[in-house]
Amino acid sequence: MAIQVSEKNGITIIAIQDDMTIYTASEQKARLSKYLHSGRELQINLAGVSEMDSAGLQLLLWLKQEASRHAIKLSLVRHSQAVVEVLELLNLTGHFGDPVVISANWNAA
Amino acid sequence: MSELDAAIQTFVQEADELLAEMELALLGLEDNPDDSESINSVFRAMHTIKGSSGLFGFDSIVAFAHEAETVLDQVRRGQRVIDGTLISTLLNCKDHTSKLIEHCLTEAEQELSQELKLTGESLIKQLGGATTKQESMPVEADSKRGSSETSETEGDTNGNDWVILLEFGPDALRNGMDPLSFIRYLKTLGDIVDILTSAPDLPIGEAMDPESCYLHFKIVFRGNTDKQGIESVFEFAEDDCEIRIIPPHSQIEHYLSLLAEPSDEDDAQVERLGEMLINIGALTPKEVAKALQRQSEDKAESPEQAKPIGEILVEQQSAEQPVVEQALKKQQSVKQKIAAEANYIRVDSEKLGKLINLVGELVISGAAMRMMVDRHGLSDVEEVAVSMNDLVSEIRDTALELRMVAIGETFSRFRRVVRDVSNELNKQIELKITGGETELDKTVVEKINDPLTHLIRNSLDHGIEMPEQRRAAGKPEQGTVHLNAYHDSGHIVIQIADDGAGLNDEKIRTKAIANGLITADQVLTKQEVFDLIFEAGLSTKDEASNLSGRGVGMDVVRRNIEALRGSVSLDSEPGQGTTVTINLPLTLAIIDGFMVEAEQECYIIPLSMVEECVEMSPEECEFDEIQHYVNLRGEVMPYLRLGDYFNNRKQHSNIHRESMVVVRFGQTKVGFVVDKLHGEHQTVIKPLGKVFEQLKGISGATVLGSGDVALILDVQGLVQFATRDKSRASIGLAG
Amino acid sequence: MAKTIMIVDDSASIRQVVSIALKGGGYDVLEACDGKDALNKLKGQKIHLIITDVNMPNMDGITFVQEVKKLPDYKFTPMMMLTTEAAEDKKQAGKAAGAKAWLTKPFQPQTLMTAVSKLVLP
Repeated sequence: MAIQVSEKNGITIIAIQDDMTIYTASEQKARLSKYLHSGRELQINLAGVSEMDSAGLQLLLWLKQEASRHAIKLSLVRHSQAVVEVLELLNLTGHFGDPVVISANWNAA
Repeated sequence: MSELDAAIQTFVQEADELLAEMELALLGLEDNPDDSESINSVFRAMHTIKGSSGLFGFDSIVAFAHEAETVLDQVRRGQRVIDGTLISTLLNCKDHTSKLIEHCLTEAEQELSQELKLTGESLIKQLGGATTKQESMPVEADSKRGSSETSETEGDTNGNDWVILLEFGPDALRNGMDPLSFIRYLKTLGDIVDILTSAPDLPIGEAMDPESCYLHFKIVFRGNTDKQGIESVFEFAEDDCEIRIIPPHSQIEHYLSLLAEPSDEDDAQVERLGEMLINIGALTPKEVAKALQRQSEDKAESPEQAKPIGEILVEQQSAEQPVVEQALKKQQSVKQKIAAEANYIRVDSEKLGKLINLVGELVISGAAMRMMVDRHGLSDVEEVAVSMNDLVSEIRDTALELRMVAIGETFSRFRRVVRDVSNELNKQIELKITGGETELDKTVVEKINDPLTHLIRNSLDHGIEMPEQRRAAGKPEQGTVHLNAYHDSGHIVIQIADDGAGLNDEKIRTKAIANGLITADQVLTKQEVFDLIFEAGLSTKDEASNLSGRGVGMDVVRRNIEALRGSVSLDSEPGQGTTVTINLPLTLAIIDGFMVEAEQECYIIPLSMVEECVEMSPEECEFDEIQHYVNLRGEVMPYLRLGDYFNNRKQHSNIHRESMVVVRFGQTKVGFVVDKLHGEHQTVIKPLGKVFEQLKGISGATVLGSGDVALILDVQGLVQFATRDKSRASIGLAG
Repeated sequence: MAKTIMIVDDSASIRQVVSIALKGGGYDVLEACDGKDALNKLKGQKIHLIITDVNMPNMDGITFVQEVKKLPDYKFTPMMMLTTEAAEDKKQAGKAAGAKAWLTKPFQPQTLMTAVSKLVLP
């Protein structure tokens, strides 16, 4: 299963365990958009994202936009190396405003 | 001559001119190092020579000129200061380039000689350039090099950052064109200083298509590349991305400076605005194509409102307003330049010579016709003949004028000589030039160069003293050599004056006596003593040092000048300096003459030297037959009977009335007594054969309309003869 | 994880040169000798870039690109067409089919690497 959803302290935690690319974007968008209407805080766990392209990035941008439109809190957690690389490259870490923890088991870039 | 040979001929001529210009400019820079005009002219010389050499495959020239050009480019941009050392090096570079050109012409197949190679390498080292083998650097590479230099030197200012605006279209991702890939690649070319990612059109809610691309980027980029280089990063996305590249401030300045550069003379042509901007790297061909397309679309919509291409380029932010304005200005100036150049044509001087010869024949025919008209008393033809005669003289004057050139260029060449020699001798010498605009026949100019060089070197070597000596003598340390030229009664006078030590006439006299040129009891005027300097006997090296070296080759100088129907004289004041005066005819081909007759022979006196003609009546002139003086209305002058002089006739009958022609040479007036005055006569000079070379008093001959030959008088020689005769006579009288 | 690039060309020597260059640049390479062969070899592979020749037996490059565009797992993969200088029309046809990148033959390995780097870095 590419997306795992769990709940903890009233926060919906969504773990994406797949690439976030143009091949997966449509399906991921359909799955994720459901939670935007729940009214609960969302946490996206990106630890399992081994590859991300512009489509994946756009999806995150869209999620952020939609969350604020619906007035729910959305945070990205446990960024994988692939995700951080993209966010850094495009100078977007600040835009999402989530603390990025660099994991020790990433490959030396 | 094949077309290529002809082209090479043009190249050589052009290169000569450019190098001469370069030298002048360099010397000018010595006094005025900030003169951008001169810097540009030096740069242009190297730049143009490099460019044309490349066309002919003269790689050695290209490689060398490239190094010099690079340095000059830095000077031009103010990145390098031009000082005496650099000027000296560049002067040597100029010489070296001449040698390279010569090498390419004569032995292009062969390798450069070791000497040339070494000189080249050492010059490049002195220039501070690389000794690497940059065989032929294409011109484009220069602009790249230029931009990279600026970004290296001023890398820490924001003035060097490119701004790249990217707006990806919806299909980019579906086409496999991921913006991330391009940005990652861009990063390998330089630094992404800042990047702003946005998706302003990202749809709200379900309308967002995850496979469409909504991303826009604004990238601040710093790297050693040009506009084209940046554009090519995104070339595969050309259908899926709007791209605008805004050059850094320094680049804009770079473009402006490139546009400010004068275009090479030969390839001066009106470039289209777009082409011009592409050539300097301010625009990429794609940007121009886009603007042109928009223009044609606009035109199709409403022909009146179509905007000029420059405006469109600015609007679509492809080019900056000042750059476009500068380019338009340049386009305008090139147009004007081409229009101005169209006013000049280069003519083979041989063709010109032929024309002048023909005009000469025409003049003779004209004279013949007039004579016939006179002889047959054809009064009705006379008017026509007169007006045709006027036209012929006008044609003659115009044809001669074609060959007239200002002497200034010849004079200017000596700046280099003066500079080099004074450095070599540790003297401080300034060369003053006046009268450079004075014109004379090109053939005369060419031949006067050697004698002038000789005379100037003499002034430098022996005339001007060392600074200490000058100081001791109470003169300024810097000596002056003054070159002057002016017109004087149909002659051109060239003077070389120095404020050096001057000549001691006693010493010369002593030497001349020792050499048997004169006898100890001979009384000579100061002028006559100085004239001895031009005698061959006084011209050996040993004596040269004793006589401040003035004697060296002075006889050769005089021979050369006399061969031009000119004369040379010298005046000197010990401690004050020396002045050498050269008198030259303006042209060697045709003169306005005054024809006289003596003993049934016709003679021509150059009209410019005729002061007046007098009927010999006792009231007006009084002859002193013993001393050969004539007193003309109170003015005393020597006279010469032409009939006596040329026929060695000692007695003359007074059967017919005589006339006198007063001629002037310099300050001296002499009367020529003749039998008949024929009046003005256009004279085409035919040089006398070798046999007559020794003939005194004759400078040439001309064919009269009747087919007879008339001799052209060497007035100068005759004047000298008459005055000498007079002084001898007076000596005789005194003794 | 190294990125994988597929090279489709009927000339073995070209495949070889391209392959050596790409491997030297740090990519994994998959070779195919024509369109059909390529379509077969795609199955189950993760491909980051496809480089294809135009004129090939069995299935030419244009058709191959069109076929790839129909495969859900590969249709968004960047594709690069190898064209010859004169064949501007082939370049346009390739673009229309979906291969937006191109490389003009003959090319130096360095040119290939530059073009590839714009789309996929190793």
